[in-house]
Amino acid sequence: MGWTMGSTIKIKKDLWSKVKKVAAAGGYSSPDEFVEHVLEREVAKLDDAQSDEEIVRRLKGLGYLD
Amino acid sequence: MIGFYAGKDLPSRARQQAVFGLFVLLALASALRHPHSAQFAYIGPGAGFAFLGSFLTLVAGFILSLLSFLLWPFRMAWRAVRRRKGFRHAHVRKIIFLGLDGLDARLTERLMAEGKLPNLAGLAAEGGYRRLRTTCPALSPVAWSTFATGVGPAKHNIFDFLDRSLKSYLPQLSSARVGKAERVLRIGRLRIPLSRPPIELRQKSQPFWKILGEQGIGSTILRVPITFPPEKFDGKLLSAMCTPDLKGTQGSFSQFTTRVAKATYENGSRYPLRPLAEGFAGEIEGPQDTFIEGHPVLRIPFRVIIDKGAFELRLQGTRCPLYPGEYTGWQRLSFRTAIGAKAAGMARFLLTETEPELSLYMSPINIDPERPALPISHPSYYAAYLANLLGTYATLGMAEDTWALNEGAIDEDAFLRQAYDIYAEREAMFLEALESTRRGVLACVFDTSDRIQHMFYRRLGTSDPHARTIEDMYCRMDELVGKVRPFVDRDAALFVLSDHGFCAFRRGVNINAWLRDNGYLHLHNGARESGSFFEGVDWSRTRAYALGLGGFYLNIRGREAQGIVARGQETEQIEREIIDKLGALRDNDGGAPIRAVYATRSLYHGPYLDQAPDFMVGYNEGYRASWDGAVGKVSAQVLEDNPKAWSGDHCVDPALVPGVLFSNRKFEASDSGNEPGIEDLAPTALQLFGLQPPAWMDGKPLLWDGPWDLPSK
Repeated sequence: MGWTMGSTIKIKKDLWSKVKKVAAAGGYSSPDEFVEHVLEREVAKLDDAQSDEEIVRRLKGLGYLD
Repeated sequence: MIGFYAGKDLPSRARQQAVFGLFVLLALASALRHPHSAQFAYIGPGAGFAFLGSFLTLVAGFILSLLSFLLWPFRMAWRAVRRRKGFRHAHVRKIIFLGLDGLDARLTERLMAEGKLPNLAGLAAEGGYRRLRTTCPALSPVAWSTFATGVGPAKHNIFDFLDRSLKSYLPQLSSARVGKAERVLRIGRLRIPLSRPPIELRQKSQPFWKILGEQGIGSTILRVPITFPPEKFDGKLLSAMCTPDLKGTQGSFSQFTTRVAKATYENGSRYPLRPLAEGFAGEIEGPQDTFIEGHPVLRIPFRVIIDKGAFELRLQGTRCPLYPGEYTGWQRLSFRTAIGAKAAGMARFLLTETEPELSLYMSPINIDPERPALPISHPSYYAAYLANLLGTYATLGMAEDTWALNEGAIDEDAFLRQAYDIYAEREAMFLEALESTRRGVLACVFDTSDRIQHMFYRRLGTSDPHARTIEDMYCRMDELVGKVRPFVDRDAALFVLSDHGFCAFRRGVNINAWLRDNGYLHLHNGARESGSFFEGVDWSRTRAYALGLGGFYLNIRGREAQGIVARGQETEQIEREIIDKLGALRDNDGGAPIRAVYATRSLYHGPYLDQAPDFMVGYNEGYRASWDGAVGKVSAQVLEDNPKAWSGDHCVDPALVPGVLFSNRKFEASDSGNEPGIEDLAPTALQLFGLQPPAWMDGKPLLWDGPWDLPSK
């Protein structure tokens, strides 16, 4: 999900049918969402974090927070 | 249809369609003419700018636009066929969701009983009224996400305004991520991004309007929270809560003043005014120029001219009279970057004092909907279309400037005027959409009810001039319901709902301080207090930490970067300990600040549960997570007074703050003993259009007495 152009990857048929079952059982709204979630978790381990100051600066002004 | 607009000078449907068509053509022509226009340049606040100005992009854009234009009649014909199919099994022709954020069930019921809300009472008598169960935590981003998707937080991934980085423990906005462009061309000090920075909605699952769209049933979604950035679907959408300002923050006001310049605000900025012979001069700070090394802040100079007691704002070649105590209209601000691309914003000004000191308030710089620097609508031109049709409007997620009132930069009357001005903009949008929506879904959320209760709760039941401000607001919302009724015929379903209720916020609970006092959180060198964002926390000995408004986390080994608590037995033991001990917390007067502590895994099931706080805190009425604790600060005391104007809140046990649900359709008699939940609205919408709600949804369709089919069928 996001405001970026998506890419397509190929998954073998038998794996895809398993993915669909697991996604449905897990409460995902689609197999795509499941695949995206699994990949995000792995990528997050390597991802470069943005600067601390930048992250905190963006929260400025949110009424609920000081 | 006889509409509320009958006899008024408002656009006819034909004119709206003509404006819309013309607008698309103009957008196309403009994109082809200006290489720096929205088609080819992307300017994003704070996080980065991207510039896609290559010749290849220009050619591709031209061809795609031309093709799109030529194929338009065929696409329209295909869409008409799909729509006819989509409504084949529908029980209604349209559904209207009117969201009144934070409308409290108890107060609504009392005012209805007193005869002060005749339109809501009439709707309840004609159809039905129920209290609406909210989410845990009872927070707008969480509850409105559940409204949209029909699932609990563990399936839509929004548990609070904030979540945390598992690496740095720092807070981040839970709903959206704005990243940096991956490829950047460096020429000397210039930094030219060659790709768009990723902007990602973190809400998962699927909103019901997307599912309807796939069946050819279109929707118009106006300012429903957690819709930034907008996602593609068959319909129109204007983004809401968590849409940033042009600086990339959640709303930073400015005050320009002749007073002591070094005074600072927690969530705004104070800037000096320089004396001139004819008045004063100042500088507006805008977004950073990410096209240049070091990202310097872009600035716009302005002057306040004083002539025979009259004040005038001179800004970028424009002149605007300033009247003490009166807001200006939206003033356009154009920040020019090092490479010539412009970031378009707009702000309103208010002269708050003139003698002996002069102070000028400036609202947060909203993204200009006519030239949006970030995507704020779907289709992308919809935001500009609305601005052209109805006049420009606030685009910031939480547009009412609560911090300016908290910090005294504006007073209560000025805050109210601002809130109702924004309300008027929203109402115009909503009424226009009511006029133009013949079929499908129209959902619009008004924030006025939430913001006014946050800021005026302390005045309830006092002799203050603002003692009736909240009650008056409820009456205004009731009048709005009255304006909707003429658009609701027998083929339409109307739902008026709120996402949560409200109560007082008198005392704050710093969960981090409690965790420290009970040996779950440790600071370096034996310190008792920390800075914000866990500065000084010794993670190697810390087993639990709190961030945000809803709950707190365990420091889990293998999940958090410096986690020490093992999953399984150790986690379960700590859970039991904390739930027992924290529930026994007492205030100085012996009262219980906390009604219940919940292990989140006992509340929800779903794939994103691991992102959730491990505990949810059900505060009692009068209490909330403290200001300091919410941003990861360990303060000296566990309990402290809330001194701010922000004196009402809803971040308490959800059982204490149910929302409201009114409908023109009767609730089924057998359902009368059960409180419907906000998760039930999405499956209800699907079922009313004859679609089977998908298995992943947690909500259940609400059933209604009476015939389901359209009278015409």
